Amino acid sequence: MPVAWPDKEDNELLALVQDGSHPAFATLVERHTDRFYRLAFRYLQNREAAEDVVQDAFLKLWEDPGKWQPDKNNKFTTWFYRVVVNLCLDWQKRKRPLQLNEDMPLIDERETAEQAMLRREEQRILEREIAALPERQRSALNLCFDAGISNQDAADVMRINLKALQSLLMRAKTTLKQRMKSYL
Amino acid sequence: MDRNDDQKLDSMLHSRRSQAASSDLAARIIHKAQAVPQIQRFFLWQSLRQLFIELHLPKPGYVLAIALVLGMFLGFSTAPQYFSTTNSDGASAQSFLADDEGLL
Repeated sequence: MPVAWPDKEDNELLALVQDGSHPAFATLVERHTDRFYRLAFRYLQNREAAEDVVQDAFLKLWEDPGKWQPDKNNKFTTWFYRVVVNLCLDWQKRKRPLQLNEDMPLIDERETAEQAMLRREEQRILEREIAALPERQRSALNLCFDAGISNQDAADVMRINLKALQSLLMRAKTTLKQRMKSYL
Repeated sequence: MDRNDDQKLDSMLHSRRSQAASSDLAARIIHKAQAVPQIQRFFLWQSLRQLFIELHLPKPGYVLAIALVLGMFLGFSTAPQYFSTTNSDGASAQSFLADDEGLL
């Protein structure tokens, strides 16, 4: 699908969305769907659930674009990351925990079968341990280790300062190091 | 050792497995949005602005100020006619009162 206004800033597109412009909304969706999906997937570890959350977030934005107020929020993506994180947390509270998809492809295709199996097990334990972390530590990890988001942006999403974010990250990593000792 | 653990953990966190979204996810969202009506929030100032835009009037603030000044000007300039005692209504009222006083 062709993007209507590839050169327009997010804020300009949102102003048009507030006036009911579908092409502006489509441009925003095309531009940002993947990044928000990646974050939702980090939380939910399930493709369908992550897609549902991202779809829900965008439809809420379309339905009531007045919720976005540029004066109060510096960046659309920071605000929308927060929306997606909140929806993921709500989703986790409402639904039963999801089973990790065992058929999920591994990133490195050159591994041997044995290496791949070991890595799969390692990843499964890692995801389990991350899911067991306190909510804020988990959010800090998911935001910071998701490609394309800086620590400062992650801190803004969580409405905390950079030092507090770093402290959450350190505590999360200390816990993970203890629990993943046999894999390190 | 601890430094190695840190590096290994960071590497594991960076290479967390992921599954790509469906290729039509964005298209699905865009398509669904077409069936969802937008909530219209009512803001007085925005509504006024919209009204002025539709009426092709420039800058609602200026137009309101000009309308106010014009209104005051017209109001002050036309007021004497209504309160004048020289018109026919005023004259008939005066003659009526005069008749009343005659009875006393």
